[in-house]
Amino acid sequence: MTEKKFHTELEELRDDLISMAEMAESMLKCSVEALKTQDTDLADRVIAQKNEIKEQNYRIEDRCIQLITLHQPVAKDMRMLFCILKISSALERVGRYGKDIANVVLYTAETPHLAHLLSIPHMSVMVMEMVSDAITAFREGDVTILSDYTVRDDEVDALGHSIFRECVSYMLEDPATITRCMNYVMVARYLERSGDHACKMAELVTFMVTGTRAEFE
Amino acid sequence: MATSEIVLRTEDLDLWYDEKQALKRVTLGVPRNRVTALIGPSGCGKSTLLRCFNRMNDLIPGCRIKGGLFFNGTHLSDIPDVVQLRKHIGMVFQRPNPFPKSIYENVAYGPRVHGERNSAALDRIVEQSLKQSALWEEVKDRLHDSALSLSGGQQQRLCIARTLAVGPEVILMDEPCSALDPIATSKIEELITTLSERYTVIIVTHSMQQASRVSDYTGFMYLGELVEFGETTQIFERPEKELTENYITGRFG
Repeated sequence: MTEKKFHTELEELRDDLISMAEMAESMLKCSVEALKTQDTDLADRVIAQKNEIKEQNYRIEDRCIQLITLHQPVAKDMRMLFCILKISSALERVGRYGKDIANVVLYTAETPHLAHLLSIPHMSVMVMEMVSDAITAFREGDVTILSDYTVRDDEVDALGHSIFRECVSYMLEDPATITRCMNYVMVARYLERSGDHACKMAELVTFMVTGTRAEFE
Repeated sequence: MATSEIVLRTEDLDLWYDEKQALKRVTLGVPRNRVTALIGPSGCGKSTLLRCFNRMNDLIPGCRIKGGLFFNGTHLSDIPDVVQLRKHIGMVFQRPNPFPKSIYENVAYGPRVHGERNSAALDRIVEQSLKQSALWEEVKDRLHDSALSLSGGQQQRLCIARTLAVGPEVILMDEPCSALDPIATSKIEELITTLSERYTVIIVTHSMQQASRVSDYTGFMYLGELVEFGETTQIFERPEKELTENYITGRFG
């Protein structure tokens, strides 16, 4: 295989990762949308994508192994392959958190939401922007967009904590809210973990582009 | 780099073959007891630079050198006897070139030229050199067979033994594996790693994988210039110059 073919294949792999990111982002977005609208059909569709995103991760991993084995890439090519391998796993996790939120929809669809889902919708928007910006930085090879990631992650963590405290208050006031509140705490946790994965992706993209390590979490 | 002692050094080294300039202001320090690889596309000057280190270019008509070229702090032109210089700085070539003599005589030849006449001492040197070049076990029962009866890989290790027999400090290797199969190549690469415990090795190679496998330091040359020099891990993981990055990732060359 020639170097030109290697670089063509690397470009294809890069495009595959961007497609996978679109799927992971869509799973997260649709799951929160299904939660807000209590749409169990939409939740079912998200759950059905679980295996598809897993398969996509395997395909990307296999292609990475193949390219490393056949070409022994170095420098920025190796960093890109390393980054694709790790981001692919992180995206699968984000997709699976979408699936977990979709499961919550099935448990809570019968009862009206408390306080318009507290800060969950706002938190989800922040997390989705973090995931989307990490992928934009990967696609563009430009890390400028990631400069405020630490602040954004802190805000997401603070929102998670605030949702937890609010839920505790509701549960103390009225035990009938316990099931819903417990599920909200879980959703907040899934979103917070997705934010952590977005930070990890941002760190990887920074390493890929600059060759130096950065910490955003 | 600061922690390693420099054994060979060039300072603003220029070299011309008649009107054609083959080396341009090359400044480089070769650390002692380390493997240094020189990489770059054909015609970049890496073999020319290697041959400067033991004055092999002296024999080429029209070759002129300007600039500093130091071995242990002494300018090479201040070393009057080139035979003595080559005792300290040995060379292994691209194609194995054993003398048409026995295995024993090939290794004993150098020490004899340098005055060793004692047969017990010669036996010892031959055994030690063949052991260091990882050939002893394969040839110890046929030391008086012709060197030409050996396989290509064995012949190359014999040439390394021949170089070691005169007790050099530095071994120059000009694409030592390009005429060998992968197994013989792997043996030579293992040998290079072992040799670096006692000797300084400079290897010119077309194979970037080989450079990354065997060397501690790598210099990338292009059109007669040393574009970048650094620790091999740095050069292959995070080269500073875009030209280096483009070459090692196969975007040109």
